[in-house]
Amino acid sequence: MTPALSRRRMLSGLGALGVGGLVAADTTLTAANAASTSQVVPFWADHQAGITTPQQDRLTFAAFDVITKDRNELVGLLKTWTAAADAMTKGHQVPGGASDLQAPPSDTGEADGLTPGNLTVTIGFGTSLFDDRFGLAAKKPKALTPLPKLAPENLDPAYTNGDLCIQACADDPQVTFHAVRNLARLGAGIVVLRWMQLGFGRTASTSSAQATPRNLMGFKDGTRNLRAEQTDLIDQNVWVGEETDQAWLRGGSYLVARRIRMYIETWDRDYLADQQNVFGRYKNSGAPLGGSDEFDTPNLGSSDIPDDAHIRLASPEHNGGIHLLRRGYSFTDGTDSTGNLLGGLFFIAFMKDPKQFVTVQKALAADALNEYIQHIGSGLFACPPGVAPGQFWGQGLFT
Amino acid sequence: MRTTIGLTAIAAAATLALTACGGSSTSGSAPQNAPAGEGGDVTVTLTADGCQPQPSSISSGAVNFKVSNKDAGAVTEAELMSGGQMLGEQENLTPGLDGGFSLELAKGDYQIYCPGAKKDHWDFHVTGDATKSWKDNPALVTATTDYGKWVVDQVNQLVTGTKAFADAVKAGDTAKASVAYGQARVFYEKVEPVAEIWGDLDKNIDGRADDFDNPADFKGFHKIEQSLFEARKLDGMGPVADELVTNVTKLQQLVAKATYQPAEIANGATELIDEIQKSKVTGEEERYSHIDLLDFKGNLDGSMEAFTVLLPALQKNAPDVAKAVQDRAAAVTAALKQYEQSPGYLNTGYVDYSTVSKDQQKTLSQAVNALGEAMSKVAAKVSQ
Repeated sequence: MTPALSRRRMLSGLGALGVGGLVAADTTLTAANAASTSQVVPFWADHQAGITTPQQDRLTFAAFDVITKDRNELVGLLKTWTAAADAMTKGHQVPGGASDLQAPPSDTGEADGLTPGNLTVTIGFGTSLFDDRFGLAAKKPKALTPLPKLAPENLDPAYTNGDLCIQACADDPQVTFHAVRNLARLGAGIVVLRWMQLGFGRTASTSSAQATPRNLMGFKDGTRNLRAEQTDLIDQNVWVGEETDQAWLRGGSYLVARRIRMYIETWDRDYLADQQNVFGRYKNSGAPLGGSDEFDTPNLGSSDIPDDAHIRLASPEHNGGIHLLRRGYSFTDGTDSTGNLLGGLFFIAFMKDPKQFVTVQKALAADALNEYIQHIGSGLFACPPGVAPGQFWGQGLFT
Repeated sequence: MRTTIGLTAIAAAATLALTACGGSSTSGSAPQNAPAGEGGDVTVTLTADGCQPQPSSISSGAVNFKVSNKDAGAVTEAELMSGGQMLGEQENLTPGLDGGFSLELAKGDYQIYCPGAKKDHWDFHVTGDATKSWKDNPALVTATTDYGKWVVDQVNQLVTGTKAFADAVKAGDTAKASVAYGQARVFYEKVEPVAEIWGDLDKNIDGRADDFDNPADFKGFHKIEQSLFEARKLDGMGPVADELVTNVTKLQQLVAKATYQPAEIANGATELIDEIQKSKVTGEEERYSHIDLLDFKGNLDGSMEAFTVLLPALQKNAPDVAKAVQDRAAAVTAALKQYEQSPGYLNTGYVDYSTVSKDQQKTLSQAVNALGEAMSKVAAKVSQ
């Protein structure tokens, strides 16, 4: 059965009256079939959705600069964004009406008729937000310091940093783009888009129910990623706890985004044995070299896995037990000025302290993979905990 | 800007429709007061027993529901229903919180629904006719009259300036024509949405090379601009200049008889901001002369004139929208100010736009975008 709880269908009965869709949708939804509601990831929760919730296939990520100097405007926007994100997550239109012929519809409309698509919208606050503009300097977590230079990187400022970030994930790219587009529109005059990235295929699994996808190099990526079911490891590695100096961030997490270019043409000319040595896995099965099944624990004591293999250097065993929760995506932005494919991995990881990423990335300075990749964009954001009804994103920052 | 005839038809359809207008459940905007006989305020208090509206009957028009929850733990929302369909709501009111929503309501029987209460449906009635005209509002009548006079004055100056420009073109005086070009055009940029009402007139006055399938049809200001600033000669431009004068004179005759509706004026104000964003900030419009900042100022001034005539009415209906436009307009003015120069490039009062970097253009564009978003909300609010 194709449940397809179509927004268009829900609204069709109202067409003659021309009433805005948001509120009308609610009543129909409660009576609708359960299969459709399973496409709604709860927005109100202790932790923000989009971190340990099962990873969707599509991403739109956006970083914003705040241009207002008025703290109240920023707070007002966060309230508006919270309400809009809640509505869009449910597959509703942005609140505010759509039937006044002399006013632009409050929702841009391109997700009308699509299913909610398991949309999650996750917000993060960048280091730069905690300057003297909004009186937030004292609320800046000690751990939220700019990342050091990390090889192999050559960062483009046009794809780096930002005061705020929004990560929108769903099963449909139009749903994710719709979310970011509408939040950007609601923010006109208060924030401006600094950079944006579309992702088209998840490169990690955050649930043991999901198969391991492949990255653009054709390898299974994230076989050893943290899974939501590993609650103890998640608590130890992902959620900010009592250790933070900032109470508002407890229950939140840190998001590191890295725009990683792959030199696809040269990679594609590398011979298979070398490709496998670079990752430390067999290309076909995904099993660690020397093993037979994808989920075999890599035998890091064996010389089957080269010293500079990616799997070895990134492993918790090599990094004092550190895990990251990865939620990366493949991306492409067409070609570069020389006619080569411009694409790769838009790496996203969540962790309780950015030091976890720094530690792993420093270990990867020796990675054989570095011959084929370069980090060309970067962002570090503190993601507040989840919100309860009546609250707004980051409320604890402003109270 | 659409023709008056078209707009009247749209307005009639809108009056028949039951229209949700702003202030929805989650927008958090404060309900506005409406005068007696044109909707009004309805208080809804959530209790464990129910959600009786006060008053339970009201005249048609803009109705503001003020919902509060004194102490009901299980009853946290109120919805306005009609024939089983929800038209508006305020959700998530935990005890001690209040909120509201606003709707344009036509005559009919409605219910207030508060799920979880002992009695969860309460009758609510709307009486009378929703038909009212902006002509009943003296502030709007004044606005439309004032705007009409202002347009006539601007187009008169356009005609004078265009004649001076044409004279310089025909005399082959490139130096004089280069300065006269901008001095004539700026008046057109102030009233462009009005000129667009009349079919091909805008295309023939202000069309750009890419607007014509056949290059031979390219005429108007930009044809001469290309010759003057790119080819640096005026050969063969005499007839083009004469036709331009004919066309702006035609515009002068048309605007003398034109009337405007408030929503038209407001939407025209938004169009002028969109013009800045689409073709001035990009440097596309004045691609040969680079006097884009003068056009920018013309569009901005024209937009703000339209906004200013509507302001008294808007202040009453939606002071928050008025303030948003004023704040954003101030930001645009500040962003533009740093490019002022006296007498400036070609006496425009501004620098040559080709000296403005891409990063600077981006900053200008973002300020203009914010103003456009705010301005786009004026039309619906002013015609309430």
